[in-house]
Amino acid sequence: MTVTTSHAHRHQPEPQDTARTDPHSGIVLRDVTKSYGKTEVLKGIDLHLDPGKVYGLLGANGVGKTTMMSLICNHIFRTSGSVTIDGEDPAENAKILERTVFIHEDQRWHDDYLVKHILSALPSFYRGWQPELAERLLERFSIPRKTQLKKLSRGQRSAFAVSISLASRAEYTFLDEPYLGLDPSSRNIFYEELMREVSEHPRTVLMSTHLIDEAANLMEEVILMRQGRIELHADSDAVTSSMTAVRGIEDAVDEFTASYDIVNSQSLGRIRSVLVRGSLSPRERERADRLHLSVETPGLQEIVAALGILDHDARQADVHDTQNEGAMS
Amino acid sequence: MTPPAPRSDRPIFLDLADQIADDILSGAYAPGTQVPSTTELSVHYRINPATAGKALNRLVDQGVLEKRRGLGMFVTADGTEILRTQRQGDLLETYLAPLMAEAARLGMTPDDVVALIRSHVEFSASRSSTTHPTEAPR
Repeated sequence: MTVTTSHAHRHQPEPQDTARTDPHSGIVLRDVTKSYGKTEVLKGIDLHLDPGKVYGLLGANGVGKTTMMSLICNHIFRTSGSVTIDGEDPAENAKILERTVFIHEDQRWHDDYLVKHILSALPSFYRGWQPELAERLLERFSIPRKTQLKKLSRGQRSAFAVSISLASRAEYTFLDEPYLGLDPSSRNIFYEELMREVSEHPRTVLMSTHLIDEAANLMEEVILMRQGRIELHADSDAVTSSMTAVRGIEDAVDEFTASYDIVNSQSLGRIRSVLVRGSLSPRERERADRLHLSVETPGLQEIVAALGILDHDARQADVHDTQNEGAMS
Repeated sequence: MTPPAPRSDRPIFLDLADQIADDILSGAYAPGTQVPSTTELSVHYRINPATAGKALNRLVDQGVLEKRRGLGMFVTADGTEILRTQRQGDLLETYLAPLMAEAARLGMTPDDVVALIRSHVEFSASRSSTTHPTEAPR
């Protein structure tokens, strides 16, 4: 299923914001696949990321989010298909890679190094490195400069990693579950600083996260992955209207949703809540009213969670099938 | 009966535009004064700058805000008045329609609702006239 994206009211960056190099074709993936042995982790990805936008990359664990990001950044090789950044192949391309930053879920550095050693090495990796910004971020996150990296807490390591990603001012910023262990106030600092940075110096950000509700407003577009494929790519505003939550007495809900594609269904006593694909026409809303059903647009987190459960069930079914085949032969 | 629009159905930029409009109506931003920039809104509410930009542009389209080159966004001379007129027009759909729908569900007639409004107004008036002089802050 696809939802068309609308850009009727694109944010116009201020004139002083546009200090980027040409050409701005952004990131383009065409029919990209990745297999490890017989396991196909990415099953034909087509994706276009515009320059200067913040994208949320969502989906359950194991759907291929990290693989896709690693592949764009040339940390791993694709099996087939093509990847270009501003029209060029990122493979072994120093010009592209010095404008790219990738923060991993469990970002690590050499344990014996002090924070300040890493800081002094970074300007040579990133063309746009901002030393003052790095200082300010470490200050806000209370990360001491003379500490060995192995002595930082899980949260401090995450804070250090996101500080580096922001201070790199890399035109292409990849954040894979960047804030493991960060407490709510530190996450808010990160969100504020990320928004300040992209507002004043637009850059492409692709961020995966499971903290969907609190990060949803940061994203201009949402990319939802399922089992190695892109299920949905839409403006944040449009994405939740791709599904509808219907709630009411079970018989009425069943009658109403019979003609719909049901994604998830839960019951509590005689009350049933069902998530269906698509949005309702005014006529269908009237029909729901007559059946005394409540109709709502689900939250983004609800949609991602429901699709994740669907995938989990599908995998379980596969396992059963394989076991049954094994028993028969 | 149409149920009130669910919250998540509404794009955030509309909520933000309403918030800024509320602040203009309350007098926090008088005509001729500057409102927060895209960056300030984006950082403060932790929302995408494009969303903040859409909210400001909506108010520009309505004639409530104007862009002054290199300076930022300002409330227009008749910005407050435009909002007031608009909100009065919305009163029916935003407040009255849901009120009447809920009253119908509770088995109340329109006359019951009118009586309720009248008694509420009288109650508020009597409270402000009796409590004010005695409980005036020292």
